[in-house]
Amino acid sequence: MKDSYTLKSLAVLLENNKISSKELTSEYLKNIENGKELNCYNTISQEKALIDAEKSDERRKSQNLRSKYDGIPIGIKDLFCTKGVTTTASSKILSNFVPNYESTVTQNCDDAGLISLGKLNCDEFAMGSTNKTSFFGSVKNPWKSVNSDYELVPGGSSGGSAAAVSGDLCVASLGTDTGGSIRQPASFTGTVGLKPSYGRVSRWGIVAFASSLDQAGPITKTVEDAAILLDIISGHDEKDSTSSVNPKENYYENLNSDIKGMKIGIPKEFRSDKLPASTQKSWDECANLLKTNGAEIVDISLPHTMSALPAYYIIAPAEASSNLARYDGVRYGLRVKGNDLIDMYEKTRSEGFGDEVKRRILIGTYVLSSGYYDAYYIKAQKIRSLIKSDYVEAFKKVDAILTPSTPSTAFEIANEPSDPVQNYLNDIFTVPVNLAGLPGISIPYANDENNLPIGLQLITNSFEEQKLLNVAKNIEETINYSETPEKWWLK
Amino acid sequence: MEFDKKSLLKLGKLARISISDDKLNNLSKDLNSILEFVDQLKEIKTDQVDPTSNSLNQKLEVRDDKVDTKNSAEDILENAPEKEMDFFVVPKVIE
Amino acid sequence: MIEGWNLVIGIEIHAQVNSKSKLFSSSPTDFGSKPNSQVSLIDAAMPGMLPVINKFCIEQAVKSGIGLNAKINKKSIFDRKNYFYQDLPQGYQISQYKDPIVGEGFVEIETENGQKKIGVERLHLEQDAGKSLHDQDPNFTFVDLNRSGIALMEIVSKPDMSSPEEAVEYVRKVRSILRYLGTCDGNMEQGSIRADVNVSVNKPGNELGTRCEIKNLNSFKFIHAAIVYEAKRQIKLIEQGESVNQETRLFNTQSGETRSMRSKEDAHDYRYFPDPDLLPLTLDDDWIKGLQESIPELPDKIKERFIKEYSLSSYDANIIVSDKATSEYFEDVVKNRNPKLVTTWVTGELFSILNKKNLIIEDSPITSKQLGELVDNIENGKISNRQAKEVLEEMCESGKGALEIIDEKGLSQISDENEIESLVDNVLNSNPENVKKYKNGKDKLFGFFVGEAMKLSKGKANPKIVNDLIKKKLSQ
Repeated sequence: MKDSYTLKSLAVLLENNKISSKELTSEYLKNIENGKELNCYNTISQEKALIDAEKSDERRKSQNLRSKYDGIPIGIKDLFCTKGVTTTASSKILSNFVPNYESTVTQNCDDAGLISLGKLNCDEFAMGSTNKTSFFGSVKNPWKSVNSDYELVPGGSSGGSAAAVSGDLCVASLGTDTGGSIRQPASFTGTVGLKPSYGRVSRWGIVAFASSLDQAGPITKTVEDAAILLDIISGHDEKDSTSSVNPKENYYENLNSDIKGMKIGIPKEFRSDKLPASTQKSWDECANLLKTNGAEIVDISLPHTMSALPAYYIIAPAEASSNLARYDGVRYGLRVKGNDLIDMYEKTRSEGFGDEVKRRILIGTYVLSSGYYDAYYIKAQKIRSLIKSDYVEAFKKVDAILTPSTPSTAFEIANEPSDPVQNYLNDIFTVPVNLAGLPGISIPYANDENNLPIGLQLITNSFEEQKLLNVAKNIEETINYSETPEKWWLK
Repeated sequence: MEFDKKSLLKLGKLARISISDDKLNNLSKDLNSILEFVDQLKEIKTDQVDPTSNSLNQKLEVRDDKVDTKNSAEDILENAPEKEMDFFVVPKVIE
Repeated sequence: MIEGWNLVIGIEIHAQVNSKSKLFSSSPTDFGSKPNSQVSLIDAAMPGMLPVINKFCIEQAVKSGIGLNAKINKKSIFDRKNYFYQDLPQGYQISQYKDPIVGEGFVEIETENGQKKIGVERLHLEQDAGKSLHDQDPNFTFVDLNRSGIALMEIVSKPDMSSPEEAVEYVRKVRSILRYLGTCDGNMEQGSIRADVNVSVNKPGNELGTRCEIKNLNSFKFIHAAIVYEAKRQIKLIEQGESVNQETRLFNTQSGETRSMRSKEDAHDYRYFPDPDLLPLTLDDDWIKGLQESIPELPDKIKERFIKEYSLSSYDANIIVSDKATSEYFEDVVKNRNPKLVTTWVTGELFSILNKKNLIIEDSPITSKQLGELVDNIENGKISNRQAKEVLEEMCESGKGALEIIDEKGLSQISDENEIESLVDNVLNSNPENVKKYKNGKDKLFGFFVGEAMKLSKGKANPKIVNDLIKKKLSQ
């Protein structure tokens, strides 16, 4: 029964009084307790979740529901500020921070009656693709290779969000995606991860990493659930100047898997000898499947694809170096005493930030500094224009683009590359989408020879989330991927 | 440009992050590797290209000049590591 | 100023926009509130907070630009200026760097040698920082963020001024324009206008000298004093064969000296870049046009009109139009009255009362209507100038109207010739000795007779008539 839980199915169970919100919430809290080894949650809102569930049950009794999904518990990446609940960004520097305000996205969830089970582990300040940079330690991927017992990374930065959904520590979760942080972990855990168009979802109250790239989105079990959660969290927010004024659609209601006559682009620049054979095979198969279902497959070119990652590793650190300047030990968060103000700043930030965050702040500071700004920062912003126009051209020819989500499936936690750039390559397929501000979704397609999930990515033009979800739904319906990880942590 | 110890320490000053001696070597190695990676962009011609700093194609939204803040000093100082008489407190600064 | 030396001065004025709420947040901008009581989550740079720009502030910047005869840029960019400071919560100030909202313009000032055009380089919008208190505790600095995020217009001049007087005149003029426009209240005591002054010296014919910037001057007096001190300091250095270092200096208001704050080598690397939280600001032609049409008459125009309409001297007109409230007050009073008399009473007596009481004209205890009434009574000869002064003082104390006081005190001037004649006769008849002496050539006694007659009338007699009558009688 458990494995078939989705937002959609739970809404029906609740509606038919087959289960109460409190029972459901307790069940997930139990799963979280039993799954502690996965290290998905930084904070578990045990008491608050149960109280909120009781209130939801009251609303249901009095027929005063906030939405069809009232009473369903979800998990929230520890990057969303939540009133009265510790919000750490998985960093030591914020480890004691309790906001007295609620992010727009989590407020939207609350307004729909969703219940927060707690705050999900992630890479520190969302910087990473393994979840290993978290101050609270790595999250473990619920999946294991059939050939070994090594613990695997869940991907990152929304590693906790993806692993929790995959391991049934929540039915759906919220993540954020700056360069792939929703899609890459979704791909590594056999879940659906959606990064909306830049501006579709409010950034207000989300700890900022790179403001021009950050976007919140859902991680779910199904495409339908992704549509449901996107309906709940998206929309214009006057508190965010970069929030789109485009009206949002009823993504779930308008979900339609008919793709006849659509053109799907296959970008040649994403092809690589280094791509695992099984991933290549899934990609090819999926294209054939779409063709069978009535779409036309078109070879396209996105000439600047290979420049996206280096441009991203200038832009994102540059913005981050400025966004993270506020963590200075003066108004909130960690303070380490110093001899004078500067000493206090330097000690606080040196102790408060982990190595990867420091690397990015330093690189970001460097590329903005006098004498290097044009050569690096402006150069990268120009490349960004080129990448954007690649996609503008492509979407003149096709409705959606199909690519692999990641260059590999999940790898061992213990496998630590000596060079940080090796880690950055995990995001090679996802980063261009952020730079161009487009929506992208990763859906599980098949498992590889080690029984690890392979994710495929779909991309559409800005604010064409509906089309994106429709194509994804078509694939999902056709392949009916139903693999689930063996719950080794329960043994 | 290569990150040597001196330039790295200077960068740390600018970013207000102290870097201990034992970390200098590894850090400069890492940063040099990142720099080398991003340096590949130099190959690409961009003379005729305008930079994009935000991909959202929209006019800047504005708000009316209305006062709407409900925070008390207490709210604002709630998470302060050190406070006194409704002030944030930092080590003495000499101007 | 100093024989044989040129002074080159450029000024950055920081003028607080006259808005109710801050530039990027909705917290209030009231002066003198309790510490940290008008701070939003945005102003305190809480995690995840985002700026949303205040429309009114954009309007005020554009209006100010129009008032400074400047180019309005239809597209401008907000940048982050990155540096760490305890009263800068974000770790960056949102400002405008390469693409300001207002471009080049100019203002005209009066100098010893006539009108002079001072170039304006640009005007841009930026956030103010919070306030640090260093004197509350021996070991700690206290930080109040009430001011954090308040909208400032930074107006950058070209280095077109060549004396401290010109510098002061320039700041006065800009302040006056902003006050006419209503874009800044111009209150210097509350820091609504602050100036950073760049000073360099050179020998005529030589190339420009190295400049020093003196930060944060908040009165005309300090601007003047700081420039004088700084110029002398630089000249002395050069004359001693030393060189001037490019640096930022602070002015000590107690000692009147400047001292080094940081040298060029320590200058911040601000790492400006476009704020990714804010899209480019674009302005419509129609919207700009609408604002242009809403601009009130500005001091230069009003001055021209006053000279033409009321035959004021350029000097008087300048004094009156330098302040919006004064020129409005003047115009209220002058309607259908003698401009010369009104000018004297506004710039003379009224100003001296305001000065004594340390009041601005907006808070004048005497309304323009009241002063008009007083002037009327002088004009129709009911009271003398001297009496009018007395009445004005009384008006000031009691708040009563001129007529009421004149009646109460029985001050109204005696202009009736018959009545005055009997007074004069009385004086002459009771002093036959003196009349004789006068007639024998002691001219000085004329004053004595006038004095006696005035005394007898309790000062109410029209002195001109008294004079005339005595002269007439004594020559008989």
